Amino acid sequence: MNKRIIAFGTIAFVSLCAVAVFLPVANADSLRDRLKDLLDRAKPTQQAPQTAPATAPAPQDKEFKIPPIGNVPLEDEIRLGRQISGNLLGAAPLVKDDKLQHYVNRVGRWVALQSDRPDLKWTFGVIQSEDLNAFAAPGGYVFITRGLYAKMKDEAELAGVLGHEIAHVQQRHHLKVLQKSQLLNIGASILKKQLAKGESGVQKIIGSGAEVLSRGLDKDAEFEADRLGVVLAARAGYDAWGLPSVLQEISALSASDSSVGMLFKTHPHPDERLSRLSDAMGDRLDALKASDNGKGRFYKLAAK
Amino acid sequence: MTLSTMRWIGAMALGCALAMSAFGQEQGVAIKQDDVKAEPFKDAKTLGVIKKGEAVSILKKQGGWLEIKGSQAAGWVRVLSVRKGAGGGSAASELAGVAGVATGRAGTGQVVSTTGVRGLGEEDLKGAKYNEEELKMAEAAAIAAEEAKQFAVNGELAARQVSWLPVPRTTTSAGAR
Repeated sequence: MNKRIIAFGTIAFVSLCAVAVFLPVANADSLRDRLKDLLDRAKPTQQAPQTAPATAPAPQDKEFKIPPIGNVPLEDEIRLGRQISGNLLGAAPLVKDDKLQHYVNRVGRWVALQSDRPDLKWTFGVIQSEDLNAFAAPGGYVFITRGLYAKMKDEAELAGVLGHEIAHVQQRHHLKVLQKSQLLNIGASILKKQLAKGESGVQKIIGSGAEVLSRGLDKDAEFEADRLGVVLAARAGYDAWGLPSVLQEISALSASDSSVGMLFKTHPHPDERLSRLSDAMGDRLDALKASDNGKGRFYKLAAK
Repeated sequence: MTLSTMRWIGAMALGCALAMSAFGQEQGVAIKQDDVKAEPFKDAKTLGVIKKGEAVSILKKQGGWLEIKGSQAAGWVRVLSVRKGAGGGSAASELAGVAGVATGRAGTGQVVSTTGVRGLGEEDLKGAKYNEEELKMAEAAAIAAEEAKQFAVNGELAARQVSWLPVPRTTTSAGAR
């Protein structure tokens, strides 16, 4: 068994445990069935909310849907997210600029308020790396690199990028990865044992350091986060073209540019993301009123 | 060809790309076929088309539309039909991409950056050590919903109802490089 599968499996444990807490499951098979059941039942729950005048109602979304929030204990999700975030910050600490961090938290929190999980304790941060990348961890943790921030031109672009990450948290995209993994049938008791060990147990579950963030999600999860991110920014009152605009900037960079190495490795090519977004958006957002995008208050980074 | 030669070519190609974009007008490439409109509206008169892979000059942006000049027509196309960046067929970025692949290092995130700043590649993430102090600092910067709402008001941003976007039925595959 290779390391990667073990890592996936261990993550699977944690989320399954979350489910198991509420379900008196005796063995792994029934646990798996129950999880599938939960996921299936959750499918119809994501319909287009209120029909806005500007957009057509969304047709039945065939993609994987998350279970209602109550089915996964938030406590476990946050523990996992804290450990992953703490590890990420161990590799790249926060940019020591309080005004920058405060600004990004206000934009991020405002966008997150438009999501299906407005009440999480959303935490945003800009980290010290000139790579172009952004990360989300379960429970409401979102980080973007200084390099990516420096590429942005206005608040709408920031809102769009944060919207994409917020969407990963909203949709609990890690669960999808787990569902696909082949190790769902390992007993939940092992997982419980791990979690009971506290921090070291949680770390065992997520693998080495923050490597879970270097693996990436599947393509559909990324396309979905793009679609949701665009809508979240638009709901927050920004132009819907902030995220596409950042993708266009990134698209102009070659995959051999080291600053986008990880981004290109863990995401579909920006051209493909733009193309999919274009198909999804069509003229649906054309009627939205133009936005001042925060009236030119976008925070300028201090020169390095 | 040696590794250093490949790198040299890559660097030259990137240099060319920078030089090309320095000529004022922003360059772009059509990532899908699209109608060129006389005005930035769906129902405006169609003046022609841009073809996938066609190089265009970007003149202006307005909402979801770009004013462009293509090889056959000039006018407005949807923002998402064009990606920024120089060149068409023999785009500098493609050359650089080839060089990256040849060194076997494209996408690993392990290429040493020319500016010497720290990257955040797979090994960096894997070897990362938990930093509680930084995490607490990040968490301390989180703000309450009320403050975010006030921030929106200050920026004249009003929440609005927008439906989730559907999964597109037909997907046009982008020009994979």
